[in-house]
Amino acid sequence: MPFTYPHFGSLTYVFEILLRELGRTDIMVPKKPSRKTSELGSRYSPEFVCTPFKLTLGTYIEMLDLGADELGIGGGNMYCRFGLYWPVQRLILEDLGYDFKFVPIPIYDKPLGLVKTLQAASNNCTVWETIKAFRTTWIKTRFIELVDKLHFKYRTLEMEKNQADKLAEEAHRKIVEIQGLRNLRKYGRKLPELFDKTIEIDQEKKKAALKIGVCGEIYVALEPTLNLDVHRKLNELGVITKNCVSFGMLIDFERKINPFITLPYQKARRVAKPYIGQRCGGEAQENIGDIILYKKKKWDGLVHLYPFTCMPEIITRSIAPQVSREYDMPFLSLVVDEHTGETGFQTRLEAFVDLLSRKKEKTLD
Amino acid sequence: MKKRVGIPRALLYYKFEAMWKTFFEELGAEVIVSPETTKTIKDLAVRYAPDEDCYSTKLYFGHFIYLKDKVDYFFIPRFGSDHEVNVGCPKFIGLAQVLESLFPDFPEIIMPYYSQAKANHGKRRLLRIIFQVGFKFTYSPLKILKAGIRAIKAQRVYEEQLHISEQQLENWIKSKIILNEKPNLEKRKKPMKIALVGHPYVLNDSLSNLDIRESLSQRGVDIITSLQMPRITIENQMEKLDYNLYFSYEREILGTIMYFLENNTIDGILQLAVFSCGPDSIVLELASRYSRRQPETPLLQLVIDELSSEVGFSTRIEAFLDMIDRRN
Repeated sequence: MPFTYPHFGSLTYVFEILLRELGRTDIMVPKKPSRKTSELGSRYSPEFVCTPFKLTLGTYIEMLDLGADELGIGGGNMYCRFGLYWPVQRLILEDLGYDFKFVPIPIYDKPLGLVKTLQAASNNCTVWETIKAFRTTWIKTRFIELVDKLHFKYRTLEMEKNQADKLAEEAHRKIVEIQGLRNLRKYGRKLPELFDKTIEIDQEKKKAALKIGVCGEIYVALEPTLNLDVHRKLNELGVITKNCVSFGMLIDFERKINPFITLPYQKARRVAKPYIGQRCGGEAQENIGDIILYKKKKWDGLVHLYPFTCMPEIITRSIAPQVSREYDMPFLSLVVDEHTGETGFQTRLEAFVDLLSRKKEKTLD
Repeated sequence: MKKRVGIPRALLYYKFEAMWKTFFEELGAEVIVSPETTKTIKDLAVRYAPDEDCYSTKLYFGHFIYLKDKVDYFFIPRFGSDHEVNVGCPKFIGLAQVLESLFPDFPEIIMPYYSQAKANHGKRRLLRIIFQVGFKFTYSPLKILKAGIRAIKAQRVYEEQLHISEQQLENWIKSKIILNEKPNLEKRKKPMKIALVGHPYVLNDSLSNLDIRESLSQRGVDIITSLQMPRITIENQMEKLDYNLYFSYEREILGTIMYFLENNTIDGILQLAVFSCGPDSIVLELASRYSRRQPETPLLQLVIDELSSEVGFSTRIEAFLDMIDRRN
């Protein structure tokens, strides 16, 4: 029974790691979605559902055509409609005549419930083995995200093009393949050094480089097909970028239960309290908090991405101008859907970067 | 002078009308509810609301702005849910703070936060909210407590009256009783039976539903709304699903549709959805796919927004009714 799941930026590697650790040998790594995937998804999707629904549906159709028949997806109770993707997609795919099974993972369940579901999806793992597999996954995720961070930095500064892309791809693969946590930690510690040695840096660019965080709804912020590769676009404009949202933090139970560490998303939720006092689904509270946190870290601006008709992020978008004014932090909100034009997107990003660099020059004078 | 509390007549007002009105009246405040949605309010809404919000949320902005000079306080609770797992719409939680952020110089907004599902709020939280809000209007704790208890009782009585029993539902299906407007039987011998399904703030707001209830009864249609359906029937339907539909208001909608699709006892189902409503987009698709699997009872789905015209709307309804007539 070949198992597949939606393509999710660099998190595609994370899901591959998890499935491998669970003893599955029949993994079909999803294809990178293209324009055609999103068109295919939109054709069979409801009219005003959010864009991630359409892209994941497109991916499923493509993968089912290639022979997959077990589909993994998040489920469970939440404020956002993400948990109801699979019942609807199941009906749509059934009507298209496919034969398959959905494996919903309740992501907001209690830890034990989550482990039970993972165990059911695994290849005869015991509970203890499942927990161990899950632990390996979150530790590897830390390094996957570290590679991303380095990637977005060195892609801006590199002298020769495509070096960072190649190295990041290699490093990701290596992390997936590596056996044993000891080897992994050893390799992970060397990562910054590896990037520093292999890639030659343009010193002039480094001085002028702006720093912009990319926040927003997690799927749009992390999936390059959907956000039209916003990181690459910004990197090419000479901007060092970073993902403000992180999936690794949410599954990293070791750091979550550690009372001595406050994770960035917990900090963000705390500082966002005066503006939005409670969780209301999506990344609404975290994004508002990030405006304040990244100002304190002296970053130059934030780009906020969200899919069309996303309920929680519309709340963010309405409140963000006030926060951005009060803290003097430039904030650009962009809606993304399958009709978003490449040029319009590029123009707006360029204008935003121009604005920020002029602002930076002024403060330097 | 009495303190004036403004409540916009939109969204959750249609669900908790009895509770909120009784509470503030018992506290000795003057309750000012905005009028039924008018053209003026709609224009205000379209001008000031964020363009991506759903139509009903936009109308909320209209009512809010309409009331700004007439009140000392606004009452916009951040209501999450009243069930252990099932939630409401995330917009209901964020709305108060969005309004505060967009219109900072408006009167103070009273915005208690209550959510049983994610925040585990219970009776103690409710008591705290009652006192927190109450002390803004009076210093007598006894009066506040009395107001709180009466408000909750009023809400319970209102809901008991609204939700019919299973026996009543059966009687309605057999045409023994009429639940809503009396159908006009000039052109028809026997009234047509249709279930009108949608959110309370659409079905009860005659501007946003383009006066559908009146026009249906004029055409000799006897309606039942999803708001009136017995809770037990809806929960029974929901248990048949192998997943949990966790939006409480959508359970009512899908439950009603599934019940009538399955039993095939009425002539048709008419579903009203709001444009760009998140949960509605999911339920529209679920309902249409289920209806394709059980096609005996016809289902018409209409999506409304601020640009919907009455003519196009009534044409489709007429076509739907004609189709049912021809089938019978």
